[in-house]
Amino acid sequence: MIRSHFLNLLVFSALVAVFFAFLTQNDGKDRLRVVLILGGSMVVLSLIIAYVMYPFPLR
Amino acid sequence: MSDTLVEQAAPAARSAAAPFVACVLAWLFPGLGHVYLGKKVRAAVFFAVVLIMFTLGVASDGAASLIEERQPLTVLATFDNVATGPIDLASRYLTYGRIVYVLPGEEGDPRRTELMEKLRTRVRSVTYEYGSTFLLTAGLMNILLILDAFDIATGRKD
Repeated sequence: MIRSHFLNLLVFSALVAVFFAFLTQNDGKDRLRVVLILGGSMVVLSLIIAYVMYPFPLR
Repeated sequence: MSDTLVEQAAPAARSAAAPFVACVLAWLFPGLGHVYLGKKVRAAVFFAVVLIMFTLGVASDGAASLIEERQPLTVLATFDNVATGPIDLASRYLTYGRIVYVLPGEEGDPRRTELMEKLRTRVRSVTYEYGSTFLLTAGLMNILLILDAFDIATGRKD
């Protein structure tokens, strides 16, 4: 299946963003805005957290 | 006069049952509650999103949770998996080879050993964590869909 951590992150973020866009908004433009903001935030914040965590050892 | 009363009573009777029916349908299959409430576009999107999430979970070697007495949080995880609806049966069957919800408590129990061995096979997979997260998220999404269907049926939301 998908082994890339980043690809999993993208797929997961996209699915969650689309889900919440249709759950919370009725208008097409509003939905697109939610998809972009929510999906983008999930990806960018995950990358920031990953970058911050990088110096810490696993064990 | 009586005809008017009957006309008024009929929608009221339908609307009283609608939230319950919508919730049950939403649990039975993702999006079905919204189809029942006439929200077909939303239903199609919810159906696709939850089913893709669930399929990715199963395909990524995710495992359905089992209730273990010593770990109370497993009750929540199992409840979440069950909230996905009857399709949860498929992931249980694929994980454990049968439909099972509770891990037998005693260490020497052969049924526990067998289930733990099947679970370990999954855990050894590199994509196990991804898969289990996808499965749990599909369950959480369906819980939100059930609540959304309830809100629409009761008129709290369009």
